[in-house]
Amino acid sequence: MNNVYIAGAAVHPFGKHKTLSAATLGVSAAAALLADTGVTPDAIQAGFVGSVYGGSLIAQRILQRVGVSGQPVFTVENACASGGSAANLAWQGVAAGVYDCVLVVGVENLSAFGGGTLPLTTADIEIDQGVVMPATYAMRAQRYLHETGATVADLTNVAVKNRSNGALNPRAHLRKAVTAEEVEASRPVADPFNLFHCCPNSDGAAAVLLCSEAFAKQLGRPTARIRASVVRSGQFHTSYRDMTWPDITDRTASAAYEMSGIAPADLDLVELHDAFAIAEFLHAEALGLTERGKAYRAVADGEFAIGGRVAVSPSGGLLSRGHPVGATGVTQLAEAYWQLIGTAGDIQVPNAQVALTHTTGGGIFGVDNGACSIHILTAED
Amino acid sequence: MRNETAPTGVATRVVAAEYFTHGDDGVHLRITECRNCSSRWFPPGAICSRCAGTNLTDVNSGTTGVAYASTVVRVGPPGFPAPYVLSYVDIDGVRVLAHTEGDSALTPDTPVALTLGEVGNEDGTPLVSYVARAISDGVGIQTEGDR
Repeated sequence: MNNVYIAGAAVHPFGKHKTLSAATLGVSAAAALLADTGVTPDAIQAGFVGSVYGGSLIAQRILQRVGVSGQPVFTVENACASGGSAANLAWQGVAAGVYDCVLVVGVENLSAFGGGTLPLTTADIEIDQGVVMPATYAMRAQRYLHETGATVADLTNVAVKNRSNGALNPRAHLRKAVTAEEVEASRPVADPFNLFHCCPNSDGAAAVLLCSEAFAKQLGRPTARIRASVVRSGQFHTSYRDMTWPDITDRTASAAYEMSGIAPADLDLVELHDAFAIAEFLHAEALGLTERGKAYRAVADGEFAIGGRVAVSPSGGLLSRGHPVGATGVTQLAEAYWQLIGTAGDIQVPNAQVALTHTTGGGIFGVDNGACSIHILTAED
Repeated sequence: MRNETAPTGVATRVVAAEYFTHGDDGVHLRITECRNCSSRWFPPGAICSRCAGTNLTDVNSGTTGVAYASTVVRVGPPGFPAPYVLSYVDIDGVRVLAHTEGDSALTPDTPVALTLGEVGNEDGTPLVSYVARAISDGVGIQTEGDR
C-alpha cells in the first residue's frame, strides 16, 4: 500500500446555522480548503462526502459548486461514522494507487429537524417502543456506574473537561466552559444524564485533502501521515450483551494498532466519539487508553486533560465542539491534522506527534453501535 | 401494529403485536431459535442472522426476566409523552427493550415480569405493548394505579 497524507483541512465552524443548508455548509468548507491549499478543482480526482440527513446526491450538490464536476464522487452514509467512513474510502483509493488527490467532506444540518432528540428514521423494534439515543446511552451509563462504582459526578467531570477544551476552540459549537454545578443543574434528559452530559445537535461541515506522497511533495504544504484507517460494523445479535464494553471500538482499534504498529501508550491525543459523557469512559477503555473500569479515575486525575498523559478530545469533543453527525469524523481529522502540524492554537497539545480519531454510529437495535471508524495519524518532520 | 377495541370500548393500537402473545399469566415473547447454531432472536424471523440458516423453531418465552439496565426518559419522541421508564430486560436468552411501570429507573438486575400495558399515545389513541413490572418474591409489585 502507498503512504497516504492529509495535506490540508478546513471547517465551517459548528453551531446553529438555521439559514444555511447542508449543501451550503459543505460548499463553504470545500471552498475554504481549496483556497487554503491552492489546489485547483481539476487536480481533485475523486470526492467522498459523509452525511446522514443531507439527502440524495449531497456529494454532487457540494462538490460541483466548487468545480469538482465530472469526477467520481460518492455520498457515504454510516450514521455518526459517515464522515470517518468517507475518509476511509478516500484513504483506500489513495493507498491503492488509484488516486493521488482526493477531497473528503463531512456535512450536516440538524437545525432542519427542530429541537429535541436526534430523529431516528429507520423503523425497528426499539424505535417503535419509543427509544431515543440518550436513553440507550443512559442505560449503558447506569450499568457502567453500577459495575465500576463511578458516580454521576464522574460523568460530570467529562462534560466539564470537554467544555473547558471547547471553550478555547473557535470552531466549537458550545464555547462556554461550565462548572460541575451548572452541569448538574442543567435540564434532565434521560437519567442519569442532564443536558450538559449530552452533545448538542449542531450544523456544520469539515473538509480534508488526502493525497499520495508524490502529490504532497509537489504541493509542499505541511502534512500528517495516515498510519491506519479502519472501519468495522456492529456484530448483530439480540441476546445478552455487555453494554459496558463497546466491542466494536475494541475490534476497530485492534486492527488500527496492528496496521500502524502504534500502541495506545504512543498516543499524544485522541479525538473520541463522546456523544454522551459515558462514551468517553466506554471508548477510552476499549481503545486501551486505560485499564477497564478505570477511565473515570483517569478523567478525575487529569490524565485525559490537555497536558495530561493523553489528551482526550482537546478540541472539545462532541460534547462541546458539537455533533453535526456526518461532519464529525472529518472534523476530527481536521483537528488532529492541526495538532500534528502544530497550528492548533489555544488547544495545542504540547509536542503532539501521534493522534487517533474515533467515531461510532448507532441508532439501530441489535448492536451497541452500527459502525465505527478509527484513524491513526503521525506528524511528519 | 394492530388496531383493537379494548373491553372498555377505547380503541387502542398494539405495538409489536405480531411478536408476543398475552394470556392470564402475562406476556410471552415469540422467540426464534436456530436449530443449526442455537442462536436466539427477538423479534422472530425466518432466517438466522448468525448462520443464515432457515431451519428455525419458535420458542415462547416465560413471563419473567431481569432488568439489565434502566432509565427515565425525560425528552421523548412524538407519541411517547415523557417522562417514561425504559429498561433492557433479559429473558430466556434474548434482550428486549420495554417500557417499565413506575416513575424511577430500576436498579440493574431487578427481577421483572412482562405484562401488557400502555406505552404511548398517538393522536389520542393509546399505544399498548409488553411492559416490564418489578417483582419481589415472585409477586408483581402493585403500582398506585392498581390499588
